[in-house]
Amino acid sequence: MATIVELPRLSDTMEEGVIAKWHIAEGDKVKRGQVIADIETDKATMEYESFDAGTVLKIVASEGDTHPIGTPIAVLGKPGEDFEEALAGAGGGSKAKAEPEPQEEPESTEEPEPESTEEPESTQEPEPEPAAPSSDADDRVAASPLARRLAHEAGIALSTIEGSGPHGRVIKADVDAAIEGGGGGGTGTVSDGERTFVTRPDTPMKLSQMRKTIARRMGESNAEIPHFYLTIDLDMAGAVAMRTQLKAALPDVKISYNDMVILAVAKALQKHPEVNAYWDGKTIVRRGDIHVGMAVAVDEGLIVPPVRHTEQRTLSEVAGITRSLGTRARDKKLPPDEMTGSTFTVSNLGMFGIEQFLAVINPGEGAILAVGAIRDEAVVVDGALQPGKRMRVNLACDHRVMDGAVGAQFLVTLRGYLEQPLAMLA
Amino acid sequence: MPILQIREALREAIDEEMERDDRVFVMGEEVGYYNGAYKVTQGLLEKYGEQRVVDTPIAEAGFAGVGVGAAMAGLRPIIEFMTFNFSAVAFDQILNNAAKLRHLSGGQFTIPMVFRGPNAAAHMLSSTHSQAFESFYCGFPGVKVVSVATPYDAKGLLKSAIRDDNPIIFFESEVMYGVKGEVPEGEYLIPIGQADIKRPGSQVTVITWGQGVPITLEAAKMAEESGIDCEVIDLLTLRPLDRDAILQSVKKTNRAVLAYHGWPYGGTGAEVADLIAREAFYDLDAPVERVCYEDINFSYAENLEELAIPSPKQIFDAIAKVAYHSL
Amino acid sequence: MTSTIPSTQAPDKDEVARVFKEMLRIRRFEELASRAYTQGKISGFLHLYIGQEAIAVATADLMKDGDRVVTTYRDHGFAISLGCDPGACMAELFGKKDGLVGGVGGSMHFFDKDKGLWGGYAIVGGHLPVAAGHAFASKYLKDDAVTLCFLGEGAMHIGATHEGMHLAGLWKLPVVFVIENNQYAMGTPLKRQTLVDDLTVRAPAYRMTSDRWEVNDIFETRRRLAEAVERARKDHQPALIELLTYRFRGHSMSDPAKYRTKDEVEGWRKKDPLYRAEQRLRDDHGFDDEAIESIDDAVVDEMQAAVDFADASPQPDPEHRFRHHLVEDV
Repeated sequence: MATIVELPRLSDTMEEGVIAKWHIAEGDKVKRGQVIADIETDKATMEYESFDAGTVLKIVASEGDTHPIGTPIAVLGKPGEDFEEALAGAGGGSKAKAEPEPQEEPESTEEPEPESTEEPESTQEPEPEPAAPSSDADDRVAASPLARRLAHEAGIALSTIEGSGPHGRVIKADVDAAIEGGGGGGTGTVSDGERTFVTRPDTPMKLSQMRKTIARRMGESNAEIPHFYLTIDLDMAGAVAMRTQLKAALPDVKISYNDMVILAVAKALQKHPEVNAYWDGKTIVRRGDIHVGMAVAVDEGLIVPPVRHTEQRTLSEVAGITRSLGTRARDKKLPPDEMTGSTFTVSNLGMFGIEQFLAVINPGEGAILAVGAIRDEAVVVDGALQPGKRMRVNLACDHRVMDGAVGAQFLVTLRGYLEQPLAMLA
Repeated sequence: MPILQIREALREAIDEEMERDDRVFVMGEEVGYYNGAYKVTQGLLEKYGEQRVVDTPIAEAGFAGVGVGAAMAGLRPIIEFMTFNFSAVAFDQILNNAAKLRHLSGGQFTIPMVFRGPNAAAHMLSSTHSQAFESFYCGFPGVKVVSVATPYDAKGLLKSAIRDDNPIIFFESEVMYGVKGEVPEGEYLIPIGQADIKRPGSQVTVITWGQGVPITLEAAKMAEESGIDCEVIDLLTLRPLDRDAILQSVKKTNRAVLAYHGWPYGGTGAEVADLIAREAFYDLDAPVERVCYEDINFSYAENLEELAIPSPKQIFDAIAKVAYHSL
Repeated sequence: MTSTIPSTQAPDKDEVARVFKEMLRIRRFEELASRAYTQGKISGFLHLYIGQEAIAVATADLMKDGDRVVTTYRDHGFAISLGCDPGACMAELFGKKDGLVGGVGGSMHFFDKDKGLWGGYAIVGGHLPVAAGHAFASKYLKDDAVTLCFLGEGAMHIGATHEGMHLAGLWKLPVVFVIENNQYAMGTPLKRQTLVDDLTVRAPAYRMTSDRWEVNDIFETRRRLAEAVERARKDHQPALIELLTYRFRGHSMSDPAKYRTKDEVEGWRKKDPLYRAEQRLRDDHGFDDEAIESIDDAVVDEMQAAVDFADASPQPDPEHRFRHHLVEDV
């Protein structure tokens, strides 16, 4: 009996994936555990190892194609075996996904995910959505192969182009017109009578899976979660001094301020479990574990890998984990289980000199901390001016989960840890 | 440059090759005393005598097979079918002997011979005499298949065919023997396996051969008047295909139309369409169109035959369709 | 078909006049077809039967119900003699809707099953095995029918001919193969097609009886053909008959027939059965010019009416081209 290889679900938010590369060809023999394809999920490009052994009877999905989870992508079996029936019967892969199994529905929120600021991110969804075939509009657009290729090369979504061919088929001329600006002649000039200005057209972009996920989840977050924001200015002189000491004492361990923030957040969450919580649609769910996620910018967007059980770790442990996560995330080498599962997110734009910003809560969490840069500025101590190290953080909170005082108390505790960092190490 | 009819160009090719190589001979019905049913072999009997210009009884299987045997023994036969419709009688000799004996003998034998004659529908001859045989003869290995539509190509390719050491199926056209064109004086050869761009263009590739060539050029002219710039490729050799010429053009124009005398089911038209679909898929801006015979046995009645054969207008319509040109 | 059993008695005046008229019908039909071809009303290949009419008329006379004629692309004569409507025949040549086969076949492919015309075949020799197959069915079905299969002498050299004859002899099928030796296979005279003078020498090899004569007298032709046919019917004894005849026109309309001399043609004209029947009417039965002309006028009127009918017939319905490729294609 032929085995249908279906597009695997390689992340908990993955609804569809792209065959980035096939490592096998029709006729090849495949062993169990052999890497057969690279699959681009909404998060990363994953190596996909075969669960089954056999000869590759057919490659169903081509490189570059987008398919919903469960779509047959290849067939394994014995050489010469008739697989058409099996293949026909397997079409349900995507259909099965279109109707999530009931028991999965409530649980799917169990690992809600952190979020960051302007860079949204996604991981786990409170409500798993069916991998509706229509989710990738481009696959449903009638387009000539050339138009499809040209649009892809230009980074334009076919679904944004109006087709002028038979039955609305998008053809080369339409893509050309879109590239040039809706057929209006593309880059050109306009004049107000005195001066002439160059005009350039808008360009609809082809979205990566990650960008699509971010767009969707951040839209949901902003629309559904009633955010409120609390800002506090922290004295970081103690933290700076401690980091200098640690650097000297432990030259092999590179500890960043962000590591200190992450650990401080974890310790504060331990004291304020009402902040380590989220709204599941009906009620507040308090998380048992503390997994502080760190927003990491990658090429196509950002992801939020968690430092698991953060509050139980030492600062140097945290530092080691964040370094490893950051490096692998940027190399697209992070497996899905390391990318998801945060219960609170820390987003830090201090390295860009951003003093303060407001972040959007990652659905599945109750708050997010936006961390600004450490500033050198004059501060008044005991009535006298002296040089100081200050850092502003902003906490965005889900008002359904907590009120202003709860958030404020959390920030006060956090301030305690960061201004007297030795307390974290106690 | 001298202007010759296709029949004269073919005759020059045969004449020159017979002059050049005394192993070359012509055999077929009415090729000698009658001077050829279509006058291709006119005067050759007088010049070369009965040994080398051989009239046969009506015995296609016989003289096709004799040609195969003679070729194996070192001669270079040109076997004329009065029409390729009659080659059906000799099909076994071509399929099972000419095309296979080199392979079967492990390369001991070569079969240097040409089967030539008119192919495809002429005018009101009904079903048994109106058949295009390219799909049959291109459908198996061991032969090369050539189809010509101009005097220049006819001469240059027939000479190459005669010199080729393989069995060559060489298609001419009953209705095109009188077509005139320039043929250079002196020796020249056109390599088998190379297509010819009969009309360069940038917007639509129209691939054709044989009797399809003149009607396609006419359609290209109609297209030009409508602002569509067509490139017309005459395949000339139907097997092996000049893949590069086809793909290069389609990658340039992004559109392809096949226009030819032949049935739609299988055959060279389907093969070329398949090639384009596989090798130039992402260069296509429109589905490949095919304009060819209707999938029916031909009728004698003029109006019914006309409907079954591709017309310049139909080809033009296909060109306009792939160019998304609204009419 | 008239199923007149030919007798050995001398034909009477009416019978001579009848066969004269029947042969003349074919000749006039062919002449009008020839003219229509020159007027562009007929296209493709047009092979005329002028000179060979006696064979078709004699054949029609001796056939019984269920007997069949299978012939070559030179098939108009049999259609006329077997009683096909001349208008339908001419309309077929014109490619018209009211043609014998609706305009799809043209000159080379006449069929009228009910009249016993089981086909004009355009590929030389291809019809001999088919004719043997009809005879096979007759024997199988015990229907007492005989198949008369006509071929040109040029067809004696193609493979299918010999396979068909061989099987007919091997299985003793009720079929009579009749070679209409009109001396030329297109432009090739017999002596350059074969080294035998007598084509029936092949018959013994296939265990067929044989007969051979020059077709000068239609009555003799009818009688001798009938003998072979009845032997085939009663004894399932196939036969090979060679009829020496002559076509006065070229192979087809486009053939200038330069391969033969005027003298040769004139020699055969004197032996033309139609001419001889006319002479017999004049010499033995007192027909004068007026009597002959009155027959001729009637025939010309009939055949001109056929031309008029064909002229008036519309072209086939365009949709007709999709019909009959398979049984389902009604």
